[in-house]
Amino acid sequence: MDATDADIAAAPLPTDKTLSARQSVVVQFGRFLAINLKMFKIIRKDRH
Amino acid sequence: MARVVILGGGIAGHTAALHLTRMLGRTNEVVVVTPNSMWNWIPSNIWVGVGRMDTEQVTFPLAPIYRRKGIDHRQALATAIHPEGTSDDHTPFVEVTYTDPTRQGETARLTYDFLINATGPKLNFGATPGLGPDGFTKSVCTAGHAVEASQSLAKAIEKMKRGEPQTIVIGVGHGTCTCEGAAFEYAFNVEHEVRQAGVRDLADIVYLTNEFELGDFGVGGLTFTQQGFQTTSKLWTESLFRERGIRAITGAHVERVEEGVVFFEQVDGSKDSLAFDFAMLLPPFRGVDLKAFDADGVDISEKLFAPNGFMKVDADYTAKPFADWRAEDWPKTYQVPSYPNIFAVGIAFAPPHQISQPRTSPNGTLIAPSPPRTGMPSGIMGKLAASNITALIKNGSKAKMKTASMSDMGAACVASAGSGLRDGSAASMTMYPVVPDSVRYPVTGRSVADTYGEIGLAGHWIKALLHYLFIYKAKARPGWWLIPE
Ligand SMILES: Cc1cc2nc3c(=O)[nH]c(=O)nc-3n(C[C@H](O)[C@H](O)[C@H](O)COP(=O)(O)OP(=O)(O)OC[C@H]3O[C@@H](n4cnc5c(N)ncnc54)[C@H](O)[C@@H]3O)c2cc1C
Repeated sequence: MDATDADIAAAPLPTDKTLSARQSVVVQFGRFLAINLKMFKIIRKDRH
Repeated sequence: MARVVILGGGIAGHTAALHLTRMLGRTNEVVVVTPNSMWNWIPSNIWVGVGRMDTEQVTFPLAPIYRRKGIDHRQALATAIHPEGTSDDHTPFVEVTYTDPTRQGETARLTYDFLINATGPKLNFGATPGLGPDGFTKSVCTAGHAVEASQSLAKAIEKMKRGEPQTIVIGVGHGTCTCEGAAFEYAFNVEHEVRQAGVRDLADIVYLTNEFELGDFGVGGLTFTQQGFQTTSKLWTESLFRERGIRAITGAHVERVEEGVVFFEQVDGSKDSLAFDFAMLLPPFRGVDLKAFDADGVDISEKLFAPNGFMKVDADYTAKPFADWRAEDWPKTYQVPSYPNIFAVGIAFAPPHQISQPRTSPNGTLIAPSPPRTGMPSGIMGKLAASNITALIKNGSKAKMKTASMSDMGAACVASAGSGLRDGSAASMTMYPVVPDSVRYPVTGRSVADTYGEIGLAGHWIKALLHYLFIYKAKARPGWWLIPE
């Protein structure tokens, strides 16, 4: 039988603080810049 | 003057066409053969499928752009490649059948000096009885399919508003499907919409996938560093499923679908069924219906195409067990060895094998996610073919060929988990390389510094921004070529 639902039930649940940081415009503005930088790094690597 | 014919005006073919006209100028001829009059930014079909966008927002007509760029646009379906021409005239050509309403059904021969096959996938709903819009499930693979999915979803939401519980099944409709990321996105977008409609408690949402475990995404999963720990995409994805209350069935091959019921087998050989009110299951992909003939008219399709219909290129197709797979098996230039003036890019090229470990159930059923060839690698391959063809036209056999193997290529993926400028969210991921390289990165197969995952509103902003940027680029507006693939 599939253990996936049991694995899901045992997975870490984000705290309220994490959840609100994920939706906070201020925090996410910073993350927007950081993620773009990470993606830009990958794009640069792809330019052989 | 050389003539380059491109089959397929999707992400890979359209990118190749625009770069070719930029690199070659108008002294050479670029022809695009593609059956649809409209270009579709497929990733945003997810939002059409939940009613957040309409088809006009994700499609635009190709003809005006090709007219402006001096590209010869043939609204037609390629049916056969003759790489050696005929016994009388050895100029290679393709046979096409027009789908253009003014020439519907007319056939023609288009000669070429260079050919790019960028025909993408055939949506193989027929592999699973009852699957797809002609059967009992919905799809979001085309903008039209997504509209139908959205209408059906709206009906399910209406029923919940009247107090009727609904079972919603989202995933993939065959053991060998790819594009699990798209199914994942649709599941979370549907969950978001149902929550927004205030009926979340009446929806049982089940993600049904061929991935052996959550977070595999057809690439064998990822290892990330987060807050000083290495974690896996499995744990990370399971956490998101827990938070959003979505159930999952993994390692599943859908055998058939009947009205309101999906029948599936799992890797352990167990068989089960699941009743549903609304289901969106992606189809497996295969190569489109293209044949190839030699100068004497003998069918040489087996020489050019793998059994799954995708075109064989400069990859190592020797059958070998998972443990022996190597990064070098993957193609570098996407040239067809026997006909080096033919390139196959995007989904159209035949991968040497899966990326994720394939598994077989005790009943002999293959449950093996096919390798994803997402937008970014498809665009990179299209540009690569354009630049190598340009070099070959300009420098002949002295041309230095560029390479872009998927084992030396990264990908940035943003999987939407709900749309909305303030309440949207997405999982942003980067991986390098797409195909793990156990020699360069012995521990996880990938560079841990460049493999990354994060969930939040910022991901939604990026996904929305990419929608506008890529449509801008595809429309070849000023500076389009500065936007990376
Ligand atoms: C629902 C969904 C969501 C997705 N989301 C993402 C995402 O978020 N990010 C991402 O990177 N990727 C995503 N993808 C994957 C992405 O769409 C593909 O990687 C990409 O479209 C592949 O490009 P392609 O040019 O190879 O194929 P396509 O874009 O499918 O283009 C193939 C073209 O060839 C044409 N054609 C077919 N047969 C013939 C023929 N016989 N002759 C001539 N032309 C022909 C087709 O009409 C089409 O225009 C998603 C896919 C789906 C289905």
